[in-house]
Amino acid sequence: MSELPEKTDPLEQLLDRTLHPLPLRRAPPTLQSRVLEELQRRAALPWWRRSFAHWPSAARAGFVLVCLALIGVVFLGGNWAAAAAQSLHTSGALSPSWGRQALAVMTAAAQLATLFARTVPSVWIYAGLGAGAVLYATLFGLGAAAYRTLYLSPAKGR
Amino acid sequence: MRAYQDMVFSTAARLTGNDAQAEDIAQDAFVKAYENFSHLRSSPTAGGWLKTVTTNLALNHLTRYRKRWRFLSEFDAPTADAQPELQFPLPDTLLADLEQEQRRGVIDQALKRLPDHQRVPLVLYHFEELSYEEIAARLHASLAKVKTDIRRARMALLPMLESGGIAP
Repeated sequence: MSELPEKTDPLEQLLDRTLHPLPLRRAPPTLQSRVLEELQRRAALPWWRRSFAHWPSAARAGFVLVCLALIGVVFLGGNWAAAAAQSLHTSGALSPSWGRQALAVMTAAAQLATLFARTVPSVWIYAGLGAGAVLYATLFGLGAAAYRTLYLSPAKGR
Repeated sequence: MRAYQDMVFSTAARLTGNDAQAEDIAQDAFVKAYENFSHLRSSPTAGGWLKTVTTNLALNHLTRYRKRWRFLSEFDAPTADAQPELQFPLPDTLLADLEQEQRRGVIDQALKRLPDHQRVPLVLYHFEELSYEEIAARLHASLAKVKTDIRRARMALLPMLESGGIAP
C-alpha cells in the first residue's frame, strides 16, 4: 500500500470516519471444520494426484529421469529406424512402392540436414538462433505494448 | 487460524457481498496458508499475507463475472470530469446512535446492495486502504473510472446509512 494523499472531500472523510472503526464480521462457525475437512481430503489423495511440487523428491527425480530417457529413446530410436529402413531398402525387402517412396523422402531429408550441418558455419546457426530469440522477444514486447496501449488504455474509458 | 478467521472472512464478505462465496474464499485462503505453513509459522507478517491472499482470491472470484461487470459498468463510459455532485448538505456523523455491532450490520447490508463495480473499489479504498492508483491497477481499470465508481458508491451508500439501514 502506498502512502495515501490527504483526503479533502467531505463525503470521503465522512465515510472514512464511519467505515474505518468498523469491527470485523464474525466468521461462520463452520469455517474451521470446512478447512480441516478440505485439508484431510487433500491429504488423503495419493501423491500422483497432487501437483508436481508436492510429489516426493524421489518420484520427482524419477519423473525427470524417465522424461530424459524418453527424449533419448526418441532420438536413438529415430536413428535406429532410419538405419533399419535403409538396410531393408538395400536388401530389397521393402517391396511396396509407397515404402520405397517414403524412404526416399526420408533419406533425402536426412541428407539435406547433414549437408546443411556440414556446409553452414556453426556461427551462422548460432546467429540464426540468436536472431530468432531477439525477434521473439521483440514481438512479445510489441504484443504486450499493444495490449496495454489499445486494450488497457484509460482512453477507452475502462 | 482462530486469530485470523474473522479478518479473512470479513475481507472476503465485504468484497464479494455474499456470505456463502466469502466462506468458500476464506476456506481457500486458509488451505493456501496451510500449504505455506513452514514460511508463515514464524512470520510476523502472516496476517498481512492472509489479507493479501484473501483479497486476490476474492478479486479472482469476481473476475469470473468480469465481462458482464465491465459491460454494465462501462455502459455510460464515465470520465474524470463526470464526477457526480452532492445536491444536499452532509451530516457530521452517520449511525452515531447505534452500537458498534449494529452499525456494522447496517453497513454490511448497505454494502451488499451496491453493484460489484461500485462496492469492490469502495471496499479496497476505505477498508483495504489502497490508493486510487493501486485500485486501478488491481482492477485493470482507468483511474478516472475508479474515482467515478467510488464517488458513486459513496453517494449511493450515504442515503442508506442516513436512514440507518432502513433504505427504500
